[in-house]
Amino acid sequence: MTDAAGVTLDGVRVVYGETTALADVSVRVEPGEFFTLVGPSGCGKTTTLRVLGGFESATAGDVRIDGQDVSGVPPEDRGVGVVFQHYALFPHMTVAENVGYGLRFSEPPGGGTADERVSELLSLVGLPEAGERDPTTLSGGQRQRVALARALAPGPRLLLLDEPLSALDAQLRERLRRTVRRIQRELGITTVYVTHDQAEALAVSDRLAVVSDGRIEQVGTPREVYRRPATRFVAGFVGDNNVFEGTVSAVGDGVDDHAGRDDRLSPAGEGSTADDERLATVRVGGAELTVAADCRRGASVTFCVRPDALTPGADRNRLDVTVTETEFLGETSRVRGEWRGQSITLRTTEPPAVGETVSVGFGPDAVHVVDVTD
Amino acid sequence: MDTPVHRGVSRRRRRFAAAVRGVTERLRRRVAAARRLRDRPERLVLPALAAASASLLLVVFYYPVATVFVDAVTVDGEVSLAPLVDVVSDPFYVGWLAEPGVPGLGKLSGLGRFGFTAWQAALSTAASVALGLPGAWALARFEFRGRRTLRSLTILPFILPSMLVVVGFYAAFGADGTLNTLLGAVGLPTVDLLPSLSAVVVAHAFYNAPLVTRVVTAAYERVDAGAVETARALGASRRRAFLDVVVPQLLPAVLVGATLTFVFTFASFPIVLALGGTRLATVEVLLFSAIRQLEYGEAAALAVLETGLSLLLTAAYLRYERQSQTERSAVRPLPRRELVPSAWRERATWTVRRLGSRAAVVGYGLIVICVFVGPLASVVYESLVIDGRLTTTAYEFLLTRQQTGASFQVKPWPAVRNSVAFGVATLAVALPAGVAVSVATTGEGRWSRLVDLLSVAPFAVSGIVVGLGLLRGLVFGAVVFGYRVTVTGPVAITAAHAVGAYPFVVRNVAPALGELDDRLVESARSLGASRARALVDIELPLIWPGVLAGAAFAFAVSVGEFDATVVLAEGGGTYTMPVAVERYVGRRLGPATAMGTVLLFVTAVSFVVLDRVGGGGVGGFGSGGERGSTGSGGRGSTGRGERSGDPDGNPGRGDQS
Repeated sequence: MTDAAGVTLDGVRVVYGETTALADVSVRVEPGEFFTLVGPSGCGKTTTLRVLGGFESATAGDVRIDGQDVSGVPPEDRGVGVVFQHYALFPHMTVAENVGYGLRFSEPPGGGTADERVSELLSLVGLPEAGERDPTTLSGGQRQRVALARALAPGPRLLLLDEPLSALDAQLRERLRRTVRRIQRELGITTVYVTHDQAEALAVSDRLAVVSDGRIEQVGTPREVYRRPATRFVAGFVGDNNVFEGTVSAVGDGVDDHAGRDDRLSPAGEGSTADDERLATVRVGGAELTVAADCRRGASVTFCVRPDALTPGADRNRLDVTVTETEFLGETSRVRGEWRGQSITLRTTEPPAVGETVSVGFGPDAVHVVDVTD
Repeated sequence: MDTPVHRGVSRRRRRFAAAVRGVTERLRRRVAAARRLRDRPERLVLPALAAASASLLLVVFYYPVATVFVDAVTVDGEVSLAPLVDVVSDPFYVGWLAEPGVPGLGKLSGLGRFGFTAWQAALSTAASVALGLPGAWALARFEFRGRRTLRSLTILPFILPSMLVVVGFYAAFGADGTLNTLLGAVGLPTVDLLPSLSAVVVAHAFYNAPLVTRVVTAAYERVDAGAVETARALGASRRRAFLDVVVPQLLPAVLVGATLTFVFTFASFPIVLALGGTRLATVEVLLFSAIRQLEYGEAAALAVLETGLSLLLTAAYLRYERQSQTERSAVRPLPRRELVPSAWRERATWTVRRLGSRAAVVGYGLIVICVFVGPLASVVYESLVIDGRLTTTAYEFLLTRQQTGASFQVKPWPAVRNSVAFGVATLAVALPAGVAVSVATTGEGRWSRLVDLLSVAPFAVSGIVVGLGLLRGLVFGAVVFGYRVTVTGPVAITAAHAVGAYPFVVRNVAPALGELDDRLVESARSLGASRARALVDIELPLIWPGVLAGAAFAFAVSVGEFDATVVLAEGGGTYTMPVAVERYVGRRLGPATAMGTVLLFVTAVSFVVLDRVGGGGVGGFGSGGERGSTGSGGRGSTGRGERSGDPDGNPGRGDQS
């Protein structure tokens, strides 16, 4: 029994006929937290949000908001504010009528009148003068701010944001997400945010859950998820990454498994790996790469290296990458190339020409091991 | 406590406790739900309305029709196939099929009444397609003044009382009709065209060609110009591109139009009754005379056979409709050419092809004026002009007959009053029921499909059959849980009208509801509104044109309904305008056309409401397609409105024709 505040999903499953939208989702959102569900389209993140909002019912599992079991509770009794991607403003009402709609069914929080509450919220979202306007005359960003004000007006205990920024252009999106975050902090309202944009998820969240195929792959702070992806899917989905798979051919930096040689004395003499880490030589696509991994000989290893860890001139783990494509991003360029039939992504300030071969390498401890199978 | 025995006991105890917890938890949820209902009684509004609509449908449609089916398989309370066997083995009904080995296909009389009914339906279908197809071409490919209005006018078959078609044909082609007046004026001998099979077929074409035009125009407007241009760029000639790209996309629509027309004309009633005469009686007419002669067993058998056939064809239609549901509208429809291009002032641009196509459109326009405008204009003309003089005699007759008519005679004023009263009562029932059913069908889940199916079923049953069922099942009385339930004629008539009319409300309201962003209702609900409140606050204000269009349809259907009314009004004082027209039409043209003019006026008002309001944008029958040509947003709605609209012809036509 949970009596704590916040949101708990426990073993939630949603099945429509033959298709399973959510296989098994268990997650806990702390009170006041900005929690993001991120994943590719169709992964089940929106379904999760709709279960919380009461628009879908879970086939199995337990959903609690502030400790209350909300299964069977209709949306109007959940005290949940929702903002949708396409605003869903009521086109036949003015902005103020939209924001005040929820106050027809409940007393305004804070004791004032409904009108006061409406102007308070319009000021909060930076549209103090827009009350009398017709929502269809507003820009996308303004509409979304009205939608946010409307969702917040009755003082919900939980705010659900379903891709609220996806319909807006890039610059506006960044500005508005800062606004959303500021308001969320000010009000301290528990928020579940759904987005397919992993960069956005990393930028705004207190914590995030990466969702794929109706399951949660990983839950953690943006830093944890970025640095230590728990699964191959997360490694590939969050940020650019180079994922390698191979078989361990030797453990202890090329020396036989049973030799028991000290790891610290690596023949290359370069850097020192931590006491508790061992080096392994992994055969990937016919080449041997040395990575910091605790595993046995013969094991299959999946590991990843961020593009910024692939540096030119490093003599460990040298990869000769044939450049196939470069993208200028501003401060840096993203370079895509091929190494032994595998696609490699690099970051560089001075992009090479397409067709050129560049030599990059990475240190054994720049590697994050995603999976080891003996 | 830790001995194995104890452990077993405590495990059982734990399991028991868990079960109790499960039960109490479920109970708690039930109580919480009940408390929520008590706190907000408005939550009950929609379920109650839906339940009321369902019971209405059950009591005044499914139950009565079921009694007809039971009648068809019982004789004196015993189960027997005799009534059915009697009909299917009677050469009168099935012709040479009753006597195997005697091929009688060569002779029309050898077909039997079922064969004849199918034969006239096939002829009528061919005529409707022939008359309707050029209309689709003209409407989809040419731009001219009044095109929008003409396109909107193709909904007329849905709201035009079939009795008005009958009066129109009598007024135009009858012995004293406009045609003979014109022939007489130029010194030519008069012609006697009525009653005849060709009159029936032409009247059916008048009635159903607009339907073909409507369906095919919609399909034509869905043809993507890009596809045609691609074919031309790949080397296809203009003709080849038309045959290879356009025709395959029109063919399904032509089939749909033809199927519906066949269903309608197979069960057509007043047109055949009044224009065909006794010699050309179809199954529906024989069904009606069987009811009049109190031969209920035979009537039931005919009803079952006819309904079965109609259901089969309707099922085929629905199957097609479901398949084409995914069909998207054209990104860029084929451009329309100006009928009279401004550049034509220069002679050089006159080519044979251009002149030819324009001449074809103008020629078709003349036929349209003769076939469509002629009869309706004749109704008004004949009601005002008697013996070459402008007079109000016919209208005065309606009033004087009111004062002097004997009690057994059909009086005009009660007919008008009854029509309006039934129309209003029908609205009061059909509008809330239609809205409730629309909400149920647009809702998610498997229920919506079932609701959709059950509410579509009345389409396939003719008004005569519904009338017969109501008469046998409710007017004569039925015993329900030991109580004898009877309803009076007016209630039964209203019920029959409501059953026929509410699908029109559904077909106008449901697509409009379906096009609204679901998120609007979800937003309202998350803000604290109940489902019913969201409907009233958000949905209805946004779709009111659709609701109004549905209301106009419902009213027009009720006012024009003939089949069920004539069965139920038999011998009573509850006759309506169409019934009165039918009584007058064979005897005196003046009163019939005067009352026909009143009917025409009601139809015209309904049409204007539909066109101005309903047609303004929602996915009804109005000029919905029109928006498609200008805005991409409207196209989807057009397609949907168009498709979802078509089955509606069925109830209206079933009842009207």
